[in-house]
Amino acid sequence: MDLYAALQAVINGVLTGALYALVGMGLALIFGVMRIVNFAHGAFMMLGMYATYVLFTRTGISPYLLFIVAGIMLFGVGYAIYYGLLRPIHGKSDFMQILLTLGIGLIATDGVLLIFGADYHQINIPLLGKNLHLGPHIAVNAPWVVSFVIAVAVALGLYLFVTRTMAGRAARAIAQNRYSAPLMGINVFRVQATSFAVGIAAAGIAGGLLLPVFYIYPQVGDQFTLKAFVMVVLGGMESIVGAALAGLVLGVVESLTSLYWGNEWALAVDFVIFLLVLSLKPSGIFGRQKA
Amino acid sequence: MKRSHLIAAFAIFILSLLVPLVVQTGYLLQILFRVYLFAALGLAWNLIGGYAGQLSLGHAAYFGAGAYGLALFPGKLGISPWIAVLMGVIVALGCALLIGGVSFRLRGPYFVLATIAFAEVLRLIAKNLPDVTGGDVGVQVPGLFHGNVNRAFYWAAVVLTALAFATTVAISRARFGYYLMAIREDEDTALSVGIGAARTKLAALMVSAVLTALCGALYASLFLYVVPDQVLSIDVSNEIAIVAMLGGAGTVLGPIVGSVVLESASEIFKNIFKEAHLLIYGVLLVVVVLFLPEGIVGTLAARLRRRALFGGIKASAKGVANN
Repeated sequence: MDLYAALQAVINGVLTGALYALVGMGLALIFGVMRIVNFAHGAFMMLGMYATYVLFTRTGISPYLLFIVAGIMLFGVGYAIYYGLLRPIHGKSDFMQILLTLGIGLIATDGVLLIFGADYHQINIPLLGKNLHLGPHIAVNAPWVVSFVIAVAVALGLYLFVTRTMAGRAARAIAQNRYSAPLMGINVFRVQATSFAVGIAAAGIAGGLLLPVFYIYPQVGDQFTLKAFVMVVLGGMESIVGAALAGLVLGVVESLTSLYWGNEWALAVDFVIFLLVLSLKPSGIFGRQKA
Repeated sequence: MKRSHLIAAFAIFILSLLVPLVVQTGYLLQILFRVYLFAALGLAWNLIGGYAGQLSLGHAAYFGAGAYGLALFPGKLGISPWIAVLMGVIVALGCALLIGGVSFRLRGPYFVLATIAFAEVLRLIAKNLPDVTGGDVGVQVPGLFHGNVNRAFYWAAVVLTALAFATTVAISRARFGYYLMAIREDEDTALSVGIGAARTKLAALMVSAVLTALCGALYASLFLYVVPDQVLSIDVSNEIAIVAMLGGAGTVLGPIVGSVVLESASEIFKNIFKEAHLLIYGVLLVVVVLFLPEGIVGTLAARLRRRALFGGIKASAKGVANN
């Protein structure tokens, strides 16, 4: 049945989209709120994936626990990179940040390539063979569902971090007015470092959750960098929720594109949508009108 | 640029043309070809990325247009390869119009993202339309030269670099060049004094696209074969930008110096790191941003200026003391 195929595609899209959303929310915090142009975002996701992969192959612990370790590791990496590399060029033009993070991304990707080789790997967990049947025509793969549930929980946590915690409030205050925020006693560097690290940890966690359902190879993060920017722009820059919604939309659009036009066009459709939004409605689909 | 500089540049051009009389090995000539090719590409990029300050990370689009133009038009239209090169240039101009039309309204990171997205869309189209472009398998490219090809391609690359260099010198001294620099420094102020920023940027991008497409055609013709992931990949865009930024964006000599440094470094590290040779690009990018934000030539020039200035002050101080 055609309708069932479409429904199945939408469900798969939502499951993928939740993981996209996590990557996108991380970048929304870093780029949308903190205005740090992070071209290494996908590379950090890849690092989270490899961290989980290495820990899994060494210890055999489930990736559904190890993603936490990956998140903590990437938080540390993010903090160190902010203070070591980004803070020294604070206040310089966006281009410097772009080139710096582009360089960090290349070092991460090719460093991993050097250590682990270019081969594709996939991990094998018992859950992989299980399918959940929703009625006679629709089935979903169990690991996707588990990853989805955890991703939604982490996304909620991220939302609460930004809206409810002092650090999140401070981050939004800086976004509103970066000159008066320090006058209110906000330590801009510390808040930026924390936000950067949290955003990268979100990408790392998404990587850990993708591991059971994805192939892993050094360049796996490359397409996610641009995709994450697509989500942030679609979602309307400063909106964490917007980026999350945009992630779900992207997942469904890709899934439907794959169904009707073929898998190879999914990425192209993403970018065409992105260019259309940039040229027609730069404030994003979910964003409020703002200069 | 003084007359003596022009004479020096011309002398270097003539000497470069004579190199194949001494260097006979194909391998060395191919490395030198790459150095000159990327010098020309860096110079082309510099017009828009350096002088106009519009960081394009999508120059693979024009490079690929030139490469695929030469690859596809002779077979499809039955025209000679050299006319196909011109057709490829026209396609690149069309791409520049489209990309510029959309992305020049955007600023900062949005502009960069738009240029990347455009090049990526072109790459995916080339990959996914196997009936037209050969898809991932690729397509054969007619050779532009026959006989001793290594030498001919080397000469062609030198001539292209000279062309790009002469264009850069001409633009940097013309009113047009000053418009570009004004836009780079402050676009709003440039607009307020009557510079048509959109038109000026578009013109610079089109010149840049023409030169880049010529390089793309030359590159494709040397390898006799193109695939999308080679000529339209983001790695090509990055490499072009890194060459110019490393040497010094917005300087006349920067891209040439950048190409010499980057291409020799990557040739050395290719043997050590094998497929992970982009690592050196990453390291160079980080080093440039943190320690040489104006590139090699820009930093050296600033240092020389400072020395000249302080040297002058010291000399006059001495003069005062002697009096």
